Amino acid sequence: MRTDVWAVIAGMALVTYLTRAPLLMMLSQRPLPPRLRLWLRLIPLAVLPALAVPLVLVDHGRLVLSIAHPPLWGAVVVLALAAWRVNLLVTVVVGVGVVAVLRAVA
Amino acid sequence: MREGLVGSLALVPSVFVYATVFGGLAVQAGLRPVDVWAMTLFVFAGAAQFIAVPMLAGGASAVAIVLTTFVVNMRHYLMAAALAPSFRGFPRRWLALIAHGINDESFAVAVARHDPPDPWCFIGSVLAVYGSFVGGMAVGTLLGGLVADPSRWGLDFAFPAVFLSLVAMQLRGRIDWLVALASAMVAVAAALVLPGNWHIVIAGVAVSGIAAMVLTPEAA
Repeated sequence: MRTDVWAVIAGMALVTYLTRAPLLMMLSQRPLPPRLRLWLRLIPLAVLPALAVPLVLVDHGRLVLSIAHPPLWGAVVVLALAAWRVNLLVTVVVGVGVVAVLRAVA
Repeated sequence: MREGLVGSLALVPSVFVYATVFGGLAVQAGLRPVDVWAMTLFVFAGAAQFIAVPMLAGGASAVAIVLTTFVVNMRHYLMAAALAPSFRGFPRRWLALIAHGINDESFAVAVARHDPPDPWCFIGSVLAVYGSFVGGMAVGTLLGGLVADPSRWGLDFAFPAVFLSLVAMQLRGRIDWLVALASAMVAVAAALVLPGNWHIVIAGVAVSGIAAMVLTPEAA
């Protein structure tokens, strides 16, 4: 593992604190502007798919849309289970299992 | 405070399991238990921690990881602003500590129970969530060391699986779907041409920003 893990963790802790403390400590009485609130609400909704979908569909800089690509089926199963509100651990275990089984038979 | 603690007990199992999954995968990815402990105690932000681990293991730059963390956690501004009026009269030193406890679950509990949110109910919930998050992580770091050869078991798919579940759990209205799909497409296109992990921050900030400018705030 790399040598800067502690520096990265310290940086993460600092920027995260900077998202929490300023507005709470200023005790601001004015609500944020509606458009800013909307943006702040939408950010996680945009970041998570931006993170997850390329992990499934992009492999070494190439688009993989083949039905013989196990992570694609894992993703379908995970999305279905999560949509049915199955708990996180079960969802992840089943998704991982599907990928492992498809790799073993392929 | 009691109300927040008791009111958050229903959340304890899911937070605990979430943190156990995190601790286990982080150790699997190559982090030492002491790193996982430090990150959990001092960052205390589940989604950002899940995102940082594969980036750390995959050799992403420190700047990319820290910036991604910031973007993912920008939603805290929303919660801090909404909670601030309830904390008038608290000593600043306390607020500096309480701020570290801001999290989605406790915010939801405090807002759902009182309007305006009750500060002590929030603090009680933070104690319950923080305790179960740290406890779950600790168990996870112990379990994570037990599995050898993770990719053989499909475990490399565990991180995408967690992220996809988090997306699916958050999608409520039509706007949410629109933003998530658009961001996924932009990110895939960007990932094909850009090196490293910059597609995450670029697609995440740009798509949510454009959506916030175009859509009517009342729609949210």
